[in-house]
Amino acid sequence: MATAPATPRPSRRKARGAGITPWLFISPWILGFLFFTLGPLVFSFVMSLHDWPIVGTREFIGLENYRTMLQDDPQFWKSLWITVKFAGLFVPLNIVLSFLLAVLLNLNLRGTAIYRTAFYLPSVISGVALVTIWSWIYSNEYGLLNYLLSFVGIDGPNWLGDRTWGIVAITVASLWGLGGSMLIFLAGLQSIPKELYEAARVSGVPPWAQIIYITLPMLSPMILFTLITSIISAFQQLTIALLLTDGGPVNSTYFFAMYIYKTAFRFHDMGYAAAMSWVMFLIILILSMLVMRWSAAWVYYEGQARKDDADA
Amino acid sequence: MKRRHLIIAPAILTAVFWGGAGFAQDKVLRFATWDSDESLAIQEAIARKFEEANPGVKVQVEAYGDGYDDKLTAAMGAGDPPDVMYMWNYPSYYQALMPMDDMIARDGEAMNLADIPPGLMNGAVIEGKTYAMPVGFTTHVIFYNKDLLAAAGVAEPAAGWTWADLRAAAAKLSNPGEKTYGFAVDAKPDPFDFEQFFWSNGAQYISDDGKTLDGVMNSPEAAEVLTMFADMVKSGEAIALNIGDETSGSSLFKTGKLAMLEGAMWNKGGIDESGVNYGVAVLPAFGDKPVKSTINASGISIAKDADDPELAWEFVKFFSSPEAVAMRTNDLPIRNSVAESSGKTTDPKFAPFFAMLASGDGTTPAFLKNAEWGRIQENLAVAIEGTMIDQGNAQAHLDEAVAASARFLK
Repeated sequence: MATAPATPRPSRRKARGAGITPWLFISPWILGFLFFTLGPLVFSFVMSLHDWPIVGTREFIGLENYRTMLQDDPQFWKSLWITVKFAGLFVPLNIVLSFLLAVLLNLNLRGTAIYRTAFYLPSVISGVALVTIWSWIYSNEYGLLNYLLSFVGIDGPNWLGDRTWGIVAITVASLWGLGGSMLIFLAGLQSIPKELYEAARVSGVPPWAQIIYITLPMLSPMILFTLITSIISAFQQLTIALLLTDGGPVNSTYFFAMYIYKTAFRFHDMGYAAAMSWVMFLIILILSMLVMRWSAAWVYYEGQARKDDADA
Repeated sequence: MKRRHLIIAPAILTAVFWGGAGFAQDKVLRFATWDSDESLAIQEAIARKFEEANPGVKVQVEAYGDGYDDKLTAAMGAGDPPDVMYMWNYPSYYQALMPMDDMIARDGEAMNLADIPPGLMNGAVIEGKTYAMPVGFTTHVIFYNKDLLAAAGVAEPAAGWTWADLRAAAAKLSNPGEKTYGFAVDAKPDPFDFEQFFWSNGAQYISDDGKTLDGVMNSPEAAEVLTMFADMVKSGEAIALNIGDETSGSSLFKTGKLAMLEGAMWNKGGIDESGVNYGVAVLPAFGDKPVKSTINASGISIAKDADDPELAWEFVKFFSSPEAVAMRTNDLPIRNSVAESSGKTTDPKFAPFFAMLASGDGTTPAFLKNAEWGRIQENLAVAIEGTMIDQGNAQAHLDEAVAASARFLK
């Protein structure tokens, strides 16, 4: 009688112990997430419901910041539109160019290693140094780019001083950092089984068809990943624009992230800046969800039986 | 006691970090400045002097540089501002600063406010309370290259000259083929500095009560100012700066590519070093209207929650004392007595600065009139830049700026 109920007790204690240990192991990450990600996230939402100056008194104003943004503030819409335009230029170019570079590097020609390093190098340069280099390249008076263009008889535009070209200049400078996505594609290319291509060659499938029917489907998870990360980085673009054009000429590169930054640190309106950050967060979230949903139609994961395969 | 417990860990860390020396026996005063290079070195020297006079006090000079506002904003937001700090934008920060009137009154004799031009004190007064002591200032002048003027047979500018005179001279001095220019027009000026041209043409950015822009910022006189600068670019009398190019006017001047430069004390040191044979003239007038200059005055303020307000005040007092003012050779002395004893008021390379100071009376910069000026100013800056890029169209650009700013006047 006395011993029977005693037996399960230690095992229960053991189970509890086992329950805590893994939590302890991941606690550094969990605590970091709570204090440095979730905490600020929630805090910024609370902030967005206030008139929150840096100094002086805070006042709860409910959704007023969001209402102002949508109804009264033309700059909000202008900055958002500039950012969308930039994303429209940057995202497709980033994916196509990094894919093409990866395909070229995968040909295993002589000197590939040098090119791989050369293409990746800009990705490890800090934003500020990158901008300094590009401001020399684009400079109207002494710029390298227009100097080179003059050799082929082109009178180059004033890249950073023209309402139309400013955003193009920033897109090109941003694309310089495509080494990261290029590496992802390259890794993906090298993990595609050679047998697939051999089988295709034996069956007489031409090279362009091999790319469309083998390479692209096999790379589709990497394309999805690059697509989503490119969209996010396009919407968060700040460093290059801030340092290269500071929003100019005539506000033509006044990105959404820059408007948030200036609202917080120039105009000292933390509440409004937090509200705009939340709008940016929601836009990125919705876009990512749409892309994820759409991806079911074209992303192929190895080992996954496609529905039409199963039906066949 | 509890609080002491909490600070022990960081205190030990700090002590280890600073090499364990001077373990908490010094009182530390944090002093933040936006200056760098030589100006910073001067301030550090003043801080060392203060330390010598006050044994047991350590002044920690924090040089925030270009990111001054960002860092100060962040420090204030985190509730950890420096004890004493450089300041100019009083409307934005005054709620975090300590009014100094009582202390100034108490030490009235040492402060000797009669020795300080009133124009330098006014900016720091909000709702009747003084939030800073001025420490240095500059007005705006025209630097001119004597050799280039002589070579082109252009007479040196004299007091009472006008923009028409400057333009005629610039036309003779410009030679775009050789990339030399008579004058430089900045397409992205700091609007704070640029208002002097509005004032000189009888215009201003915003009405005195800070509530009206329409008919003020876009008045015909205002448009005239922008149009004049745009015309100078169009005609080739001047080079436009900051349109897709970061070449600065002072670098052109220092290399002999620019004959006349609108500038301030912050340009003078570099020009002296460059060896260019130059002269200094007052700003030109718009016809017979009185010419005005912006006054860029730096002040130092005490944080409202400074750990040791008395010590902070002693430091401020020292900073605006004749001894410290005389050490500041990179801007102009805020004390008349120092200006005169240094001989600067009669030195031809300094006298125009003082002449412009006297002309600055009766002007109130826009940021003191409207709390949302920072935002309105963005639209104005776009109007200036747009006019310089289009080389005209000033009225339309200013109208647009006024319309876009209307929502900040409520």
